[in-house]
Amino acid sequence: MADIDKDESDSLQVEFEWLLRKEVHAVLAQLQNILQECGRRFPVPLFGTDGPQKQDKFVLTTPPDQLKCIVSVMGDNITQAEITLKVQRQQNVIYRTSIQNDSPWKLQQVQDAGNHLQHALQHIDSVDPDYSFRSSEEVLHLLGDILGCLQRGRTSLIVPRKRTIDDLMKSRNMRSLVPNLPEDLAISFYIQSHKLVLAVYHLSTVHGNLKFDTFQAECSVPWISEVLVLFTVALQLCQQLKDKICVFSQYKDFSATSTNTAAVVW
Amino acid sequence: MSAGTNLVVPVVLWGKSAPTHCISCIFLSRDQRTLVTGCHDGQICLWQVDPDTLQMIPRCLLVGHTAPILCLARVSVVSDNNYIVSSSESGEMCTWDLVDGKCREVVKLPYVHTNMQAYHMCGSDDIRLFCNGYYAEVLIMDPFSLEVLFTLSSRMSPDWICALHVLRPAKRKDDVILGLTTTGMVKVWTLQGNESKATEPHYEHESKQIRCLNALSMSCCGGNQRTVVIVCAKYWQIYDAGDFSILCSVQAPRSERWISADFLSTDRVIAWSDEGKGYMYKLPAKKLKGLVFSSVADNKEFHSAATESDTPFLYCVLAVPNDRPMSCPPAMRYHEVSRSGKVQKYLLRGDSDGAVVVWNIPEVTNSQLAQIKQEEFDKPPGMPPTMSTSLTKAWAAMQPSPVGILDQLERGGTPRVPLTASMYLPQQSRLVVGREDGSIIIVPATQTVMLHLLHGNHQQYDDWPPHQRLIGHVGRVNCLLYPHLVHPRYERAHLVSGGVDFAVCLWDLYSGTLLHRFCVHAGEITQLLVPPNNCSTRVQKCICSVASDHSVTLLGLTERKCVVLASRHLFPVVTIKWRPLDDFMIVGCSDGSVYVWQMETGHLDRVLHGISAEEVLYACDENTSTATAGDSGLANPAVHFFRGLRHRNLSAIRHATQRGIHQLQQLSHHNQQDGSLQQKGRAMPLMIQGLRTNPKDPESHILCFDIEALIVELLTEEYGAMSPGSLEAQGLINQSEYEKVFALTQSASPDAGKKIADFFGRVKDKAGDLERSLKEKDRHDLLGRVKDKAGTFERSIKEKDRHGILAKMKEGAETMQTKIQAKAESVGLRASDKSSE
Repeated sequence: MADIDKDESDSLQVEFEWLLRKEVHAVLAQLQNILQECGRRFPVPLFGTDGPQKQDKFVLTTPPDQLKCIVSVMGDNITQAEITLKVQRQQNVIYRTSIQNDSPWKLQQVQDAGNHLQHALQHIDSVDPDYSFRSSEEVLHLLGDILGCLQRGRTSLIVPRKRTIDDLMKSRNMRSLVPNLPEDLAISFYIQSHKLVLAVYHLSTVHGNLKFDTFQAECSVPWISEVLVLFTVALQLCQQLKDKICVFSQYKDFSATSTNTAAVVW
Repeated sequence: MSAGTNLVVPVVLWGKSAPTHCISCIFLSRDQRTLVTGCHDGQICLWQVDPDTLQMIPRCLLVGHTAPILCLARVSVVSDNNYIVSSSESGEMCTWDLVDGKCREVVKLPYVHTNMQAYHMCGSDDIRLFCNGYYAEVLIMDPFSLEVLFTLSSRMSPDWICALHVLRPAKRKDDVILGLTTTGMVKVWTLQGNESKATEPHYEHESKQIRCLNALSMSCCGGNQRTVVIVCAKYWQIYDAGDFSILCSVQAPRSERWISADFLSTDRVIAWSDEGKGYMYKLPAKKLKGLVFSSVADNKEFHSAATESDTPFLYCVLAVPNDRPMSCPPAMRYHEVSRSGKVQKYLLRGDSDGAVVVWNIPEVTNSQLAQIKQEEFDKPPGMPPTMSTSLTKAWAAMQPSPVGILDQLERGGTPRVPLTASMYLPQQSRLVVGREDGSIIIVPATQTVMLHLLHGNHQQYDDWPPHQRLIGHVGRVNCLLYPHLVHPRYERAHLVSGGVDFAVCLWDLYSGTLLHRFCVHAGEITQLLVPPNNCSTRVQKCICSVASDHSVTLLGLTERKCVVLASRHLFPVVTIKWRPLDDFMIVGCSDGSVYVWQMETGHLDRVLHGISAEEVLYACDENTSTATAGDSGLANPAVHFFRGLRHRNLSAIRHATQRGIHQLQQLSHHNQQDGSLQQKGRAMPLMIQGLRTNPKDPESHILCFDIEALIVELLTEEYGAMSPGSLEAQGLINQSEYEKVFALTQSASPDAGKKIADFFGRVKDKAGDLERSLKEKDRHDLLGRVKDKAGTFERSIKEKDRHGILAKMKEGAETMQTKIQAKAESVGLRASDKSSE
């Protein structure tokens, strides 16, 4: 009986050491590939590469002609847009506005996601390939940091930050509209999952209370869905490694150096 | 919470081992009396420092943040000001009072700061915080109100600011902010002092692209503002602030990465690395420019290629001899202070083991430096730290060592078994404790507390108080649940435990027998919960268990089988919410995805991501908030915690801490639809709450003595013992007395009114059977002596006051409510639980 326990504990120890010495580095290398691939899909130069910014053109409409918009996106900026919209209560009035090249509308979410991605890669870079990990805590710490960055990066794309209508009205992006919209209208471009969304807010006062109607048009942005898939794959890979390490961290006495003294606790 | 207005005295039993404290951030106050360390688990430890020797002992643990502390800053120019600001990775910011550990202000911003510089800008009366982080602006905040006063934005290629330095140029009245973006764009803002939200936007005045990606820090030399040091992981560089041309550069030592650097003097730089070492350099004088170096100013050489003698000279290394390997890079900070006319320079380091190390940075004169240069050496001279300590050392140094709640079982040389889970059953006045070796111990709570806090004969008894031992788990017991306490629909005798052996055990609490062992999970059990009361009848008899293999099950306690197995979650389960009317159990995972399960059929209804996932979770909160009346459902535990702190509501704090800690264990407490039920009845004179700052820690315990409930309890007993005759004689049961008390309780909390009505009812009925396990005499003893022990935990209540209250109460109970409220006001309960001296 004792022999069986001893055998099992020994083989667990060997497996644990393999995990720390080999598997962690292998997974980190794999992660690095995925994240670099992810970075390449970004339309903005990351990791200091001075690649050209990619340009895309999209059309966002809502039937029947309530909102129509043609946008050019360069990197994380909307460099050009022609927007025509009708408000519900005044169907015959058509508002027109545009964004010009000299004062673009910045999609902060893209930059945020890219920066979080870079942070994750920096964490991976900080591990030298010949470094040997000494404890599960060390790896869990590193994986926790990477997971945090990836999580924040992905969230910044799929969950746009909520802002008050007041903030929106005063935002710098609203000032890039030419000509200005009337005071009771606000628009916002944002990214939600793989879609670029244009939302229109129409303010009105009903019995002294401020209300706003909202309607939106959207279009699919191919590079974002690819980026999101890569983010998700990386997150899962990272989590799987973390789960594996966690299995071993149940055995308190395990560490990569104490080869002979390891004992299974239960 | 029913115990809302009560005076509660918390006493912490820390146990023999120190809590883990993986330091992420370190700060020494200007007067050198307090060292503050923030950790990755969100706690902040205050250390009491001797300003001369820098010897320190841990004094106080501030609980409240739910994420790693990223930065700490002072709030005032006054050197002995006792406040500090902390900011965490989830965007929470708190202002703490360092004296009593109270949280004075808290906000949660959508902006996460990685760095805050406390700076006294012109045109303001005190410190402003200049913050940068995961956003493209610079925020200027008020450290007391934690309001964003105004922001600085970028006109030219805006990006996250990764390093920031604020300074006032010599002989000028305006302030200059140097910012460096992740892509290496240096920006300069100039502030006149009249900026506000109304004058936005504030754009940079200048910007320049330099070749420096992802910098970590930037600081300007105080004595010669023309030099700036910029630190990246692989190198640090000296720049000329005039045109941002590079003057010199130093690579990181092999297998190390720079974290930050600062100027020791105009031509000396200290840089520190992720290995926890400090490196001191002398800069080549002919490279430097500015007034101080006017003799070499604008010399032609400085753009020339660096020759050997032009590189900074490493003259000293600050390192810890035989340094243990760390599980993450340490937090380090350079601290410069002038005390009694002498400038002292320190390098502080806090590491993953909760150890703090201080180097007194040596002054090396130029002639000494010349000598060092003459000598041939492989390695530059090293210097050990002047002071080093850690939480573990502080614990070991304590005599007697800190008390743990089950220390009585460890007498006579039995090896110490760490406690891993605990639960207090107020109705039975019993404490159930799970341990690392798989045993569950049940002890009478009051006797156990007496044993540790009171001196007396009982301490001589062997094997006292009696304990019950449940043996069934193989390995650590992770969690305990007594479902009957949450809702009376459950069997009174059922106790449930979950362990590292993947098993959930159902016990008969009274007979101590193992009724059933559920083996359905494929990972250790991390959490046990109770579904809400309006579920289907079958689910009502279930408890919910969560395991580290990301599975969730509903286990039928009466039918003894697994009713629903919800697995296939790819990420750890973080929250569980309920929509009983739709028969849905909603599982939220750490990646933000949400799984909706049908409870009756066990089908996965749908999987949601992104905004729709958030909305579904949020909708559950809305449902429950109507049930818990006024309490805003399940916001972040920290929000509750802070609300509790502000209202000095200890039970709320307790509750929130509990929830916060559960969240740490990767699962927020289940939705409190039954919250009101759980809190039903009178407040308990004693509550015991387990405290763990990290899932790996053994548990400490907080004893919460509710003074008001205790007094009511004592009075009940005292009057209960009187005969009707003696009651009559003291005029206690005539109508006027009753009305007097009744009137007095009108204004007070409904809770107290109920209690007093309850107690008078009892007096009148002469219901003598009091079910008390403790003799009244012992109780008096307890109340008196609790103080003595509490004193060692630096409680701020004077013993005299407490006896004063007690005497007054006995006279007639009439002034009870007013007295207690007055005391509660004056005492000012502290939220933090001080560590023993």
